[in-house]
Amino acid sequence: MDFDAIVVGSGITGGWAAKELTQAGLKVLMIERGRDIRHAQDYTTEMKAPWEMPFRGEGDADLFARDYPVQALNRHFTEFTQNHFVNDAQNPYAKGEDTAFTWFRSYQLGGRSLTWGRQCYRWSDYDFGANKRDGHGTDWPIRYADIAPWYDKVESFIGVSGAKEGLTQLPDGQFQPPMALNAVEQHVRKEILSRWPERCLTVGRTANMTEAKPDEGRAACQYRSICARGCSFGAYFSTQSSTLPAAQKTGRLTVITDAVVEALDYDPATRRITGVRYVDTKTKRRRTVTSRIVFLNAGAFNSVQILLNSTSAANPNGLANSSGVLGTHIMDHANTLSAVAIMPGFEGHTSFGNRPTGVVVARYRNMERMDGAGHTRGYSFQGGALQSTWTQGKRMAGIGEDYKATLQKPGPWRMVLVGFADCVPRATNRLTLDRSKTDANGLPLLKVDFAFGKEEHAALAQAKADAAEMLTAAGGKVIMGLDRPGPGGTAIHEMGGARMGADPATSVLNKWSQAHDVPNLFVTDGAQMSSSACQNPSLTYMALTARACDAAVRMLREGKI
Amino acid sequence: MTAASSKGWKRRDFLAGATLLAVAAATPVDAATVLRKGGDRLPTPAIRALMKDVAQLVIPRTKTAGAGDVGAGDFVLLALAHGLEGAHRPLTGEAATTYKLFLRADGTLRHADWLQAELNRRAGTRFIALPLAKRRAVLVALDTEAFAARDHPWKAIKNLILTGYYTSEIGGSKELNYELVPGRFDPDLPLKPTDRAFSSDWSAVDFG
Repeated sequence: MDFDAIVVGSGITGGWAAKELTQAGLKVLMIERGRDIRHAQDYTTEMKAPWEMPFRGEGDADLFARDYPVQALNRHFTEFTQNHFVNDAQNPYAKGEDTAFTWFRSYQLGGRSLTWGRQCYRWSDYDFGANKRDGHGTDWPIRYADIAPWYDKVESFIGVSGAKEGLTQLPDGQFQPPMALNAVEQHVRKEILSRWPERCLTVGRTANMTEAKPDEGRAACQYRSICARGCSFGAYFSTQSSTLPAAQKTGRLTVITDAVVEALDYDPATRRITGVRYVDTKTKRRRTVTSRIVFLNAGAFNSVQILLNSTSAANPNGLANSSGVLGTHIMDHANTLSAVAIMPGFEGHTSFGNRPTGVVVARYRNMERMDGAGHTRGYSFQGGALQSTWTQGKRMAGIGEDYKATLQKPGPWRMVLVGFADCVPRATNRLTLDRSKTDANGLPLLKVDFAFGKEEHAALAQAKADAAEMLTAAGGKVIMGLDRPGPGGTAIHEMGGARMGADPATSVLNKWSQAHDVPNLFVTDGAQMSSSACQNPSLTYMALTARACDAAVRMLREGKI
Repeated sequence: MTAASSKGWKRRDFLAGATLLAVAAATPVDAATVLRKGGDRLPTPAIRALMKDVAQLVIPRTKTAGAGDVGAGDFVLLALAHGLEGAHRPLTGEAATTYKLFLRADGTLRHADWLQAELNRRAGTRFIALPLAKRRAVLVALDTEAFAARDHPWKAIKNLILTGYYTSEIGGSKELNYELVPGRFDPDLPLKPTDRAFSSDWSAVDFG
């Protein structure tokens, strides 16, 4: 064996797997398909001003249309951050005839941990019990109590700032002190609470630190809110700032970049993976490495791709797929701009600094009472209040000195609420391989079939009405709101495809994120999710990864795998 | 008009941008596609002078320099050549008819040529030859009409003037405030009459 463990992927969960497994004493290889990005020194645009950029930070729209038509739709994608996203033209994927799906990707060391939205919310038993309660999908084999200690561990290590609110549906965690609400948000929180005591607006729980971790070389947040450029202060959680240095410190980590995993080799006699095959993307040479256990952390869809592509006489439909559900029940939060309102009455107020998080209104529907209009799950809002700057001039007639003087002042306050609705797991939303087309490395294209259904549409319709009602109650003048979800992938919370479940006949993974069919295989990224909840999922992926690593190490020690 | 007769245009400005882009995107950039779209001629000195003047009319010199002063006119031409503000979305329907004299073969609008002709038409003579007050009046009329309409090509040009100005060093950090590393968050401060907006409030730039 070349290694004790191979971790495929270096993003949010790959970094955690590498850290946990090396710290447990294992010799680990991490394989990353993209290029190396070194912490701080490779964040090439981090300190640049717009006037130092060729297109002033806006970017070359023709280039974006040609090479980044999907990635450019990401709100974090700018001229400053384009080097942290994939080139769509060079990284194609296929879609079903009626599918609109925007797949946002970052192929590089650190993956999307460099570009993520950093929101960290625990799931509750409303979420782990959701499938059982309404019959969609398959029941989770775990509940909140199983994951709670792992949430503690992850939050403490990555650094999450947030306010404790005592909510059952959004459990409190190991938080650093919260970032503050601005004047408008404080007012809206109060007004909402006074009318709807069950609706809590609180500041985003975010992996941006309010307290430094000097022992780990990480400073507190500088309130720049340009995180996706990379942060040399190490103030937000990324692989580079946090898990990678911890893993490297053990001396037991090897990292290979520019290497895309093609398939896993399987021995039917032992039911074990015997090798990981990868393509060196620069030389196109193929190699195989071996290990006792394999962790797939390539990102939900790419982990499924590897399994679907790992066919053999024993596994003609892909590895770990005796159930036939591999690739099915993919999800993404249904997501839309539920309301925008002008918030009068705060003309005398302003703020200083750029808080790198918005606010969240925790789920309040379909908890004790089933009060969803046409849907059985939850939705929550994220957003915030902000004061306009010069770009308000783009909506205004006017030229000359008065116009310039107007744009010199902070403009009116607006408040935005973006709805995130739970996505029902459906067998028809699925990933397959399109073997008629291959990418530059000769790998078959992943094909996405995806559509939201009546439940998500009903949830976002109710969310729109609620958002308008709440902002109006807080004195706002609602100027717009939407109730149609963006295309699948818009929330960048694509997940599922290798779902967890108690029954090997209907699920891919067991309660330890371990393949039912292949005891030395663990899939601990978004692919393992059996339901979507309406919270941002990365914290849960990390907690499940840490939990799976602990279980894998225990099984190794006990000689079970 | 040939490339040889357009020496006044600072090619090196575009090419410098192209080189930086090639580095940033790690892809080779064809200089011709950076310079112009679909057989467009290079911007003439007259177009550059017009765009500078128009930029200066939109954001004039006050205690700080105006948009023309800081090169926003050239930025507009660069940005139009690269499709910013939807400049390379083909026009359809009524708009395609209205602006048919200024469309490229792919249905996209040659904004700068349209603006030159439109201002001259409104001026009844060469716009650029009019005195300041009249130029301003012509532009106010165009601007008012454009912002009363749903879609109008002036909006893209004006928006790029704003971008060119408020993302310039003077516009971004002298006319407005620019703070790359605020270092703290003060959630509620009294807004004083002398307070200036922040060009480095990225959320406000995106959503404000």
